[in-house]
Amino acid sequence: MSAGAAGPGLASLADGAKLDDESLKACCADAYANPAVRWLLGEELHPGGAATTRRTLELAGLRAGERLLDVAAGSGASAILAGRELGVEALGVEYGEGAVEGARADAAAAGVGASVGFLQGDAEGLPVEDGSFDVVLCECSLCTFPDKARAVAEFRRALRPGGRLALSDVVAEAGTLPPQLSGAMATVACVGGALPLPGYEELLTAGGFSVARRELLGEDADLFARGIEERLRGARLLGIAPPEGAPLGIEQAIEAVRLARRAIADGLLGYAIIVAEV
Amino acid sequence: MLGATESICPRCRRVLDAQLVERAGRVVLRRSCPDHGAFEAVVYGDARRYAEIQRFDKPGEEPRERQTESIDGCPHDCGICPDHAQHTCLGIIEVNTACNLDCPICFADSGSGHQEHGYSLSLEQVESMLDSFVRAEGAPESVQLSGGEPSIHPQILEMLRAARDRDIPLVMLNTNGIRLARDPRFAPALAEIGVHVYLQFDGFEDSTQKAIRGRPLTEEKLRALERCAEAGVGVSLAAAVERGLNEHEVGAIVRFGVEHPAVTGVFFQPVTHSGRFRPDSDPLDKLTNSDVIEAVAAQLPEWFRTDDFVPVPCCSPTCRSATFALYDGEDLVPLPRLVDVEQYLDYVTNRAVPDLDVREALEGLWSAKAAGGSAPVAERLECVACATAMPPELREVAARGFMIVVQDFQDPYTLDLRKLRKCCVAEIVPDGRLIPFCAYNSVGYREQVRLEASRAAPAGASR
Repeated sequence: MSAGAAGPGLASLADGAKLDDESLKACCADAYANPAVRWLLGEELHPGGAATTRRTLELAGLRAGERLLDVAAGSGASAILAGRELGVEALGVEYGEGAVEGARADAAAAGVGASVGFLQGDAEGLPVEDGSFDVVLCECSLCTFPDKARAVAEFRRALRPGGRLALSDVVAEAGTLPPQLSGAMATVACVGGALPLPGYEELLTAGGFSVARRELLGEDADLFARGIEERLRGARLLGIAPPEGAPLGIEQAIEAVRLARRAIADGLLGYAIIVAEV
Repeated sequence: MLGATESICPRCRRVLDAQLVERAGRVVLRRSCPDHGAFEAVVYGDARRYAEIQRFDKPGEEPRERQTESIDGCPHDCGICPDHAQHTCLGIIEVNTACNLDCPICFADSGSGHQEHGYSLSLEQVESMLDSFVRAEGAPESVQLSGGEPSIHPQILEMLRAARDRDIPLVMLNTNGIRLARDPRFAPALAEIGVHVYLQFDGFEDSTQKAIRGRPLTEEKLRALERCAEAGVGVSLAAAVERGLNEHEVGAIVRFGVEHPAVTGVFFQPVTHSGRFRPDSDPLDKLTNSDVIEAVAAQLPEWFRTDDFVPVPCCSPTCRSATFALYDGEDLVPLPRLVDVEQYLDYVTNRAVPDLDVREALEGLWSAKAAGGSAPVAERLECVACATAMPPELREVAARGFMIVVQDFQDPYTLDLRKLRKCCVAEIVPDGRLIPFCAYNSVGYREQVRLEASRAAPAGASR
């Protein structure tokens, strides 16, 4: 289970590590392309999976004939879903080169190779023209970006006047999470870098957006975390060793997910959809 | 109304149009006989789940051979007849009617005293029945010798060996365990042949056992299990579950089974109201699969949820649900939490199946031909394990998955002919027919076969 040659790999997430911005981005891309991580997440890379994606696009009012930009597109599943189910033209931008190739192959296999494309690129410097999209989608990723304001400025630049930003992300009450849920590892796991809901709204407002809709998905967040906990327990009882260089042992990982579930139950951690307009 | 089907009159057995309707959240089958009036029975305890699980309905497979013609119409041509929509996963041979218990509840109406039309099959008869099964299925995967109490048949070991000699990988002996407890040579003999024991095990409380079996049996059951563990015989516990009697014990049975070295699985069977059953049984208060699944989840919340139980798709999805659990002595994780079993076994919503080999393996696991711990099940669990990126050396652990099955057989009150046509559990009878199990117990076949067998091979003739 190689973490990928290009990036610093999972090992760079060792306890207490501080990563520079570029390493963090690469690490994130590597982590979510790792087969073991994908299995742990149940092939749904964010809470609610495809159902959350559909709901997010619905709240953003994405319609056939529009152009969608999916930032941090990962395996490409959401862009492909939008192409198939809504008949939109979609471009996915993903930092990991390997993921881009896989996404292109999946789009072709799904019969939307002509309308759904993928490019390697950085959210903080999107390889797209100004004003060229109707909707920007960014799922469970903004929280991991080192320079969030710059990413939001890039979303705004990519959108045409009247365009919409469809964001879904981890929300966390600042300063209330246990220490195990912060740091580089937690950032990659979408928890450490998460903002409270008003934090995202301030970020978007400062970036020239006006927030139109928000929806909290507390139950999906717990189901997602529960699934991870169960798969970790399965891995533990089967004696599966963590991939080489994994930042946590299985016991520590189970404990971290349990802490996260407690935080979700206490309302300190959750998942939300936010739709904002230019 | 949830659907239209056909049923029978529980009195005169004539075929009647029937309706499936929702009442108070449960599914009720109702029909009316011109001579005997209206009959209603609960067939599934959770109407929402009933509708939801219809997607686990795999198209039927052809048997190699059908034994009867369509003449009188379903369910009166059973053989397998040309109208039947499924092959047979599990064949059952009832080798005798004699028993060493006199249970108040017995769908086979067996006992220890004089048996009205009692019979005891010869080895030659059983061999010819096994041959019929092989002709019908090609390579049958599982057979169960039952009774009566098959362990008291003087030639039971030869009969079991005859099944093994036909390369049937899973040969089961359905027994109350009394001979296993009393005869120290019996378990080693079963081990030598390679027999899996299907042990009646209804609970731990004396009141449960008296009501279902007529007397307390815990000591004998524990002794039988000890002997099986020593001899290396795998055991599935089979619990008859009756409303108000032992449904509160299902969690304790699972926990006991998971921890016992001989036990590889548990089968829960809501009591059917055919043969001998409690006279106060109310068909509108019958326990069904969803009730048992809910009871397991409620009594073992740290281990199971209701959605860990996935319908078996080869029969009708409401007939049988199953799960496999991985256990290491401390923690237990049901397999559906590690692999998206539902995605693979959903034949209707038509979602993409990631891996056809995995689907095939899961179809073999979620099947009436499967029993925990058997070689084919272990192989299939390994196949599923390798699809989840598990290192090869750990597949062996996964292959020890503990199987829990909830199987609701139909009786004359609950018989739904649409479900019956997809039945994949059959009684193999001496003339070579394979009669779907629920038809055998509900339509009058058991009585006919017993009468004929008692003339040809009366009880006592071979003893």
